Formats: sequence, structure tokens, C-alpha cells
Amino acid sequence: MAQNKTNLRRALVLLALASVFFITLDLSDSSSTSQIRRVFGTVFAPIENISRVVTRPLSGAWNAFREYDDVVAENNRLQEQVALQEGAAVAAAASVRLSQELLALNGLPTLAGINSVTAQVIGETPTNFSQTVEINQGSNSGVKVGMPVLNAAGLIGKVTEVFADRSLVMLVSDPDYALSVKVVTMSSRTPITLPPLETQDAPSVDSVLDTADTTTSSSSTTTTTTILGFTPSATTVPAEVVAGAGSNITVPLASQLAVRETGILEGRGPGVRPIVRFLDASTRASAIEVGAPIVSSGGSRSLAPPDVVIGVVSRVVERLGTAGPILEIDLVADLSNLSFLRVLLYQPITESGR
Amino acid sequence: MFDRIIAAAASRWFRLVLVSLLVLSLQTTLFSEVRPFGYAIQILAIFVACAGVTHDVYVGAVAGLVSGFMYDAILATPLGISALVLGVVGAAAAVMLQPFRDPTWWLRLLVVGVAAALGEVVTPLLKAVVGLDGWLEWRILGALCVTFVAAMMFAAPMISLARWTLREKVIYGSR
Repeated sequence: MAQNKTNLRRALVLLALASVFFITLDLSDSSSTSQIRRVFGTVFAPIENISRVVTRPLSGAWNAFREYDDVVAENNRLQEQVALQEGAAVAAAASVRLSQELLALNGLPTLAGINSVTAQVIGETPTNFSQTVEINQGSNSGVKVGMPVLNAAGLIGKVTEVFADRSLVMLVSDPDYALSVKVVTMSSRTPITLPPLETQDAPSVDSVLDTADTTTSSSSTTTTTTILGFTPSATTVPAEVVAGAGSNITVPLASQLAVRETGILEGRGPGVRPIVRFLDASTRASAIEVGAPIVSSGGSRSLAPPDVVIGVVSRVVERLGTAGPILEIDLVADLSNLSFLRVLLYQPITESGR
Repeated sequence: MFDRIIAAAASRWFRLVLVSLLVLSLQTTLFSEVRPFGYAIQILAIFVACAGVTHDVYVGAVAGLVSGFMYDAILATPLGISALVLGVVGAAAAVMLQPFRDPTWWLRLLVVGVAAALGEVVTPLLKAVVGLDGWLEWRILGALCVTFVAAMMFAAPMISLARWTLREKVIYGSR
């Protein structure tokens, strides 16, 4: 009996030390913990699948009991919303296509150029202290750690663990999630409307490009410049500047152009809106309006490609001193009701090799 | 050699691993969907608390650490956090019952409820210690209440399961 107690004590100390060891190892991004997870996942997957099949009637009964009224109400509301949005969707699709063509024409990256894998949510987080979902696609489909995950509305999170046929996705609302984003907002100031230009009042090409050496032919202008890192493309201008034939010219103010502020999106747990903190402390709260869209900023070290829709600004929290404002975000994706998702096969540089 | 393998397979610790796998599969399927008031019932923590209640501190803690490692292996949190949390839960359940010579059935249920709920407090604390902030919020109280009530409901069958899983067979004639 005494021998038994001693063995238990030894096992206890050993397991406790192993826990601390593995926590340290995992927090230093060691690949050995991923291997342990992968092996355990392979052993556990068949048991979990059987359990899922056996318990499905029970969970189905629970959902039917708890959510029937909500589902009926939501169905009615969605039918109305679909009817309203059908027309708008056609116009939006045309705009998106035009935008993608323009981006492709200028050699800029677009989402259309990134392959994706469609996945279905097969499980939610079993704990109260993480915001993850399990999807039914894994390394066999090309999914890797760090890849961004979207649904039809917008960004929902990133892949954090990959097994052969399933993966874990950390949601945007998890406090451990952070992503560089940009806020696109427009000024409400009205544009200036100029009277029609007389021919002699029109600015000459030389005056517009006064910082560059310009040679003008009859129909095209080739610009050379001494500005380092700037290579202007050929500009086509008419041989003779023609004034607007009696019509007014609307010139947007510089302040009316889209303002792009870059910040970091951080999750704050379930039921709490994520926030955006600004990298630039000089950002003015007045420059950002409620309803302004939030999209991923992209960049070589970003976790997501540029211009993935995330949400809209729901509240601007001004702070005293030099600390910039904090924005509360309404996500466009409904994280409480996820079904089919799209994993973008885009692995950020920061996550490569995992 | 063969006898040793048979003996290991028949030991209570091997049985604990198998039963923990089954309870864990319930945790990741049924109890990740059945969420009263939006909180997941921690059936694995309840099972570990029952192991502590039916045995001593060491058995409770070891059962918690073993089950916790399995739980960690399927979560995205650092490997070892749930092991420590469930180890504390198992040990705490046994410690709470130690002053009572012959505890009544309802006292066991109460202790299981308190110990399992304790796990919902220790988890965010331990996460904060290792630098995973953001979970120390008032919603812990909700998770605590749901786990306590669920533990009171599921403790009776779980105590029987834990007792069967961790019972020690006395083999006469063995050294």
C-alpha cells in the first residue's frame, strides 16, 4: 500500500512537470507539440466520429427545443432580406468584377487569384475559454496553419491546427486573434464645383508635371523623373487641351478622397465586439465615421491577403492624450451560425513552415 | 513479458485512458453543442472531480492530469494547461471531502459541483499566467454556475463510472 502511494506520488510529480514542460514548449512554437496533437487526433478521430453519430439525435433534440421559434422568426426575416438584396447583389457583383479587372490590369493582388477549399463546420469549441470551430478539411486538401478562413459574408478567422482530414479554426472574436486591418472612410465635406474652363486657362502639361522633365509629342507624354523608386507610366493626353463645353467640372477635395487608417484588429471573446487599435497615434477620431468598412490591410507579413471584408465601425471610442481612438467593430460574418466556410490557400510568411 | 502486458491492459490506469477517451468524445460532440445559456458543460471536469471524490488526492490529481493531457491534445490552447487545471480539480475534490469520515451522497454531489466549477475559474487564471489574456471577465460567473448545476445533475452516474474505472483489483498470490 505504501509502495503504491509512493508510485502515485512519483507519477503525480512527473505529470505536473510534464505539463509545465509542454506549456513552455508549446508557447515557444515547437513543432513537437503539433506532432503529439496529430498523433492523438488520428487515434481520437474514429471515437469522436462514432460519438457524434450516437449523440446526434440528442443534440438535434436540444437544438429543436431551444431554437425552433428563433429559426422561424429568422427565416421570415431572411426571406424579406433576400428579396431586398437580390437587385443590389447584381450591381455589387458588377462593381466587384470591375474592381478586380482594374486591380489585375495594374498587377495588384486580388482575392480572385487565390485558390480556396470549401469546408463545413463539424464541431464547436468544447470549452468556455477559446473561440474555435472544427472544419472537415485538413492537410489532405492543402490546408495549412495560418490560412485565412471566410464565409459568404467575410473573414471569420484563421487555421490554427491541421490534421489529415480536419482543422481547427480560431475565430476573429478569440482574444488571441490579431490582424492588421485598414479603415476606409470618406469625408462628408462637399466637393468644389468649378465653372467651365476657358482654353487659355487650362493648365499646361508642363505646369502639372513641373517636378519632372517632360517631352511632349502630339498625343502621348513620356515622363522621366529623378524621384528615387518612382517609375511613372506613359501618360496619354490630347494634343490640345479642350475645355469642357459649357459644363461644370466637379473636383473632389483632397480631404474627400478615401482615408485609409491602418490598425490592429483584436478579438475580445464571445458576445463582445472586436476592437481596432491604431498603429498611428495621430489618427483623429473625427476622421472615422460609424459605418466605415474595415478590410484586411494585406502586406508581406499580414495573416490575410488585402481587402478581405471584415466588418463595419459600430462605435468610435475617443481617448484622451496622444493615444488614438479605439473602434468597436460589427463583424459582417455571423460567428454564432457558421456552416460552410472557404479556406483561402494563402499561407502568410509568418506562419510558413508550421 | 506477455503477463506484464496483460497486467498493464487490465490496470485501472489503462481503463482510465479508455474511459477518458469516451468522456472526451462526449465533451467534443454532445456537450459542445448543448450549451445552456451559451456555456459549454465541462463533463470531463465533472468526471475528474468524481474520481477525486471516490478516491484520494493522488488518484484524483493523476486522473485529472491524464484526462487533461488528452483534452489539451484536441484544443488549440497550449499543451498542458487543461492537464494542470484538471489535476487541480481532481485533487481539490478529494481534499474537500477529506474532513468528512463518512460523507453523505448529497455532500459528494456538492463537492463534485464545487470542484468542477473551480476548474472554470482556474482555466482563465492559468491562461493569463502564461500570457493568454482576455478571458478573465464576468462571464466566468456564468460558466461557473452552469458547470455547478450540470455537475449536480451528472454527478451520480459519473461517480459510479469513476468508481468502476479506478477500482483496484486485488490479485491474491501476486507480489
